[in-house]
Amino acid sequence: MDTVTTTGLTKSYGRQVVVQGLDLRVPEGCVYGFLGPNGSGKSTTMKMLLSLVRPTAGEVLVLGEPMNRSTRRRQLARIGSLIESPPGYGHLTGGENLRLVQRSLGLDEAQVDRAVRSVRLEEQLDKKVAHYSLGMKQRLGIAMALAREPRLLVLDEPTNGLDPAGIEEIRELLRRLAGRGVTVMVSSHLLGEVDKAADVFGILSAGRLLFQGSREQLFAAAVPDLLIDTSDPHRARAVLDDRVAARVDGGSLRIPGIDDQGTARVVADLVGAGAPVYGVRREEQSLEDVFMDLTRGGRL
Amino acid sequence: MSGRRVGTGGVVRNEVAKLRHLRVGLVAGLMVLGMVALTLLSTLTSAVFADPARRSWDVPLAGLSLAVPLVCPLLLALVASRMVDVEHQGGGWLLNATSGTTPGVLCRAKLVTGAGVVVVVTAVTHLSVWALGRLAGIDAPVPVGLWLGFAAAGLAVNLVVLALHVVLSATVDNQLVALGTGLLGTVVAVFGSGFPAWSAHLTPWGYYSLVAAAGYEGQDLVRTSPSCFSVLVLTVTAAALFGLVTSRFDRQETR
Repeated sequence: MDTVTTTGLTKSYGRQVVVQGLDLRVPEGCVYGFLGPNGSGKSTTMKMLLSLVRPTAGEVLVLGEPMNRSTRRRQLARIGSLIESPPGYGHLTGGENLRLVQRSLGLDEAQVDRAVRSVRLEEQLDKKVAHYSLGMKQRLGIAMALAREPRLLVLDEPTNGLDPAGIEEIRELLRRLAGRGVTVMVSSHLLGEVDKAADVFGILSAGRLLFQGSREQLFAAAVPDLLIDTSDPHRARAVLDDRVAARVDGGSLRIPGIDDQGTARVVADLVGAGAPVYGVRREEQSLEDVFMDLTRGGRL
Repeated sequence: MSGRRVGTGGVVRNEVAKLRHLRVGLVAGLMVLGMVALTLLSTLTSAVFADPARRSWDVPLAGLSLAVPLVCPLLLALVASRMVDVEHQGGGWLLNATSGTTPGVLCRAKLVTGAGVVVVVTAVTHLSVWALGRLAGIDAPVPVGLWLGFAAAGLAVNLVVLALHVVLSATVDNQLVALGTGLLGTVVAVFGSGFPAWSAHLTPWGYYSLVAAAGYEGQDLVRTSPSCFSVLVLTVTAAALFGLVTSRFDRQETR
């Protein structure tokens, strides 16, 4: 079962379309990495999932029920979230902030204690939030979201501004939560920050969903450039003429966006024309390369 | 899973908890001190008070009628600003919205909490003036009806001004705008009595001149009746507008 399902989710402000026709599927109990460059519509989408922003078109189902103004209050009781900058009243201590959340949601002491332990903030509760580091504020924000023991946790760039150790700690926390059955949707503009924690990825660019699926599916969907090693790349390019968009790259011929059948044809043509081919390979790509390629070009 | 939902009472309790460290108590104390001190000053320097034969409650009531518009508009703006600015600074609007408490509900809870402070300030101020008047040797019977009417009408105007500032502080992030408006309100409130009565009805601060229990016309001390009907109309209108605006806040989406 999917914890979050959206159908044709769209948001426009006047003529400006911020999010267009999103069909999200966030499976239960996974960490869903919601990726995209800054300004691609991630925060707006998350706000629509929480019914903080009204969609221009489309619908949102959370935990099998519609999420809208009339169901929001009930639904929000089982959705923890951290949107934009971490919240917290600076003039109050971390403990006092948590008591506000406890009171407004009618939670018991044990629920708050568990949330505090999850983010390892026990030692800092008596300190005023104004004196917290950014990492501590993020952890407090996550504790506030976790205190209600949600079935869905929506985190908008929770690693923003954190040092590598802090990022690793958040990753670990996300994995632990997913292990307990909590569905976690986490956004970032940097793939590296959620890469190791996420099971499923959704990649957004300019308000459109470019990809949604597992890491393996992402690799499979993105076709890396073909590199043909030849002693005479200029001649090889002349042989292929303008049938494929090949270019000389050092001692190789680089051909982007070509599938396996195309590869076989190109190699046959080169061999047939007497061009010396001594190596055919795909360029090695990291997930980061795939992500950059996708979001830069707005394509798979 | 999650706990049980709490109603408006829980939101108000949270607002009271947020007052901690905000020094609203200090501002409230300054309001009391300012109004009592100004009343005392104007009473002790009054020629009417200097004459034991003419010494009456009208003298401190006239002083208090002047002290309220001098002190309240700016300090009420400060109280509202301190209560609301923490939401802007701490991401409180969004935090509460994601817990199901919309900005309109939050503003209404802030007004209820602030109203509690204003009620206490009003009661302590009036009781202090009465006690100091007795100590200063005013033995005349207390004009209970007039005084209660003055206190109630003044309280109503203060609550309207507080409501206006809650909305203003919530709408405009920069709290200098709210405080500047409070300062402007002080000018309107103080000089309102020098303008025709109809002009006092144009702004909430103008109503301070309509609730005065006594005042000076030249050298003469004159007892006046607070315009309770005008204040009632203001209160009902302001309550309706506050409800309307905060309901709009509830429907607004975050960006």
